[in-house]
Amino acid sequence: MKLAGNDILIQSLLKEGVEYIFGYPGGAALHIYDAIFNQKKLQHILVRHEQGATHAADGYARATGKPGVVLVTSGPGATNAITGIATAFMDSIPMVVISGQVAKHLIGTDAFQETDMIGISRPIVKHSFTVESAQKIPEIVKQAFHIATSGRPGPVVIDVPKDTTAPDKLFDFSYPSKVKIRSYNPPVNPKSSQIERAVEAILESEKPVIYAGGGAINSNASKELFLLNEILDFPVTNTLMGLGVYPATHERFLGMLGMHGTYQANMSMHNADLIIAIGARFDDRITNTPKLFAPNAKIIHLDVDYSSVSKIIEANIAVFGQVKNSLSEIIKLLNKKRDLVDNKKIKPWKEQISEWKDLHGLNHQMYLNESDNKSIMPQAVVQHTYNITNGRAFITSDVGQHQMFAAQYYHFDEPRKWINSGGLGTMGFGLPAAIGVKLAYPKEEVVCITGEGSIQMCIQELSTCTQYNLPIKIININNEALGMVKQWQDMIYGGRHSESTYQSSLPNFIELAESYGHVGIRIEKNSELKSGLEKAFSLKDKLVFVDVYVDPDEHVYPMLVAPNGSLKDMWLDKDNKT
Amino acid sequence: MIRRKLSIILENKPGALVRVVGLFHQRGYNIESLHVDPVIELKKYKYVEDNLNIKIAEGEVSHLKITTTVNDNLLRQILRQINKLIDVLMAEEIK
Repeated sequence: MKLAGNDILIQSLLKEGVEYIFGYPGGAALHIYDAIFNQKKLQHILVRHEQGATHAADGYARATGKPGVVLVTSGPGATNAITGIATAFMDSIPMVVISGQVAKHLIGTDAFQETDMIGISRPIVKHSFTVESAQKIPEIVKQAFHIATSGRPGPVVIDVPKDTTAPDKLFDFSYPSKVKIRSYNPPVNPKSSQIERAVEAILESEKPVIYAGGGAINSNASKELFLLNEILDFPVTNTLMGLGVYPATHERFLGMLGMHGTYQANMSMHNADLIIAIGARFDDRITNTPKLFAPNAKIIHLDVDYSSVSKIIEANIAVFGQVKNSLSEIIKLLNKKRDLVDNKKIKPWKEQISEWKDLHGLNHQMYLNESDNKSIMPQAVVQHTYNITNGRAFITSDVGQHQMFAAQYYHFDEPRKWINSGGLGTMGFGLPAAIGVKLAYPKEEVVCITGEGSIQMCIQELSTCTQYNLPIKIININNEALGMVKQWQDMIYGGRHSESTYQSSLPNFIELAESYGHVGIRIEKNSELKSGLEKAFSLKDKLVFVDVYVDPDEHVYPMLVAPNGSLKDMWLDKDNKT
Repeated sequence: MIRRKLSIILENKPGALVRVVGLFHQRGYNIESLHVDPVIELKKYKYVEDNLNIKIAEGEVSHLKITTTVNDNLLRQILRQINKLIDVLMAEEIK
């Protein structure tokens, strides 16, 4: 079959099973856009800003586990995509970004819309390619998808000079069936010696905690983690990125740990004699001061990335491989040693954890039935959303207080349901991410829990939702301020709210949503909260923007004391520290 | 802090070297000296072929030597980060 470069690119994407491509056209990408026009299988989603394209592809990838695909033009198209690429990189999300580039003979001449995309994106991609000729496209696409999805996943950029996709030069097209990159061999299966040492430490422990993160979700290891813990009966905590990998409503679940983690999760980690880290990377929001982290714990670290292990916290036992496979091997060996598993040994430890939970655990019913004399509490908004959606919705979020309240109060029982920018902390992520999720799962409830600060960073995507008829539910927890910034200013900067409020400049979100053809609901009283949310979710075929005015002074707690604090040092409310 | 010599074998193709050099800056490490040559004398590099179970052709890979000053923990982290780069075949310390 003879094809031009632009068709070769699209056919290669189809061979990879791509169903959606999120993008925005422009000069250097127009040959590729012409090839998209001439076929029906690959659906292009036209966003309103390239940042939206990357976040939508990212949301699609997080929800499905399949790589998200983005197409942007050169210059500003490429630079606008950068924030979304960095977001995916920090959270290890598989993504392939195709950027148009000026024709090869113009590179280096400061041509119109020329920018060094490979150079600009280098620190925030897993790898990148420049297409030198149309014949190379199939091999590059094959390699790009392989790199993006294997090992520790991540974004890959393919920079495509315009002349390599010219429609008037035809080449033989065949797509490679296999890929081998000799310098890239991520670990798959763990060494048996590592498994033996891990099991030995597990059997010895009296105060164990399982600490699972986003890597366990990337590796689809949720089932293995559950089965392992049916044997061990250990307490489990999840990172912000790991929520859902172990069922949140399970009695063994301690809640999230870290900066805004639960009291019992942080206390358990601090006092543990064994921490089993599964696809988690001891990020600074988890460890607090690394030198003071879990002073008596032995660390078993399961990870696919060599460079993540012993980076911040030294691991006593490192298990390299896909964590799904490593967990399976641990289960196999434990099954052989079943008579050595003594669940009674950890009983005092579990009683201790139970006491911690009773002492300062989150009260999940606290704000549900407040009177109209009081402001709506942001926690109640999440609690009602949880109840109305039966805990089964996909929740995307932006960044700030609303994100933490969502993480604390929406109990995720399944992986890939909680979609948020944990590593980079990108405001503006939630709405476009919800677009990607809703396209992947049109029949499922998709909710964007956001704030009035974050939503305005990609609010233009309301128009995309109109074009593709995407009935997402947006819940805007509106405290009329950049809440998390304000919280830090309250706690650390003597209440000086430097540039964290908008002085009555907020738009009327209801009219704004309506102008795009959506439905807007404003909620200002506690008595309207439940019914207002129920009404929003009853409008199945409409995007509903629910603007909820909440207590502007509420803070997120617990909160780790920093600097120089450990995991046991927490603010429990505005006046009390541990 | 001790001065270390690193030996890095990478694919000899455009953009490969800058990924390694860029990584030093991204991660906050300093480079004191740097030397790179395409590998011609294949006999000297049989250990790379044996280690990775591959065959190398003349001029196909480059040998990069970098001197840097770091402690033990950071050295391990640097080597793992360099080894993670897709175009790098091997990175190790020369004792």
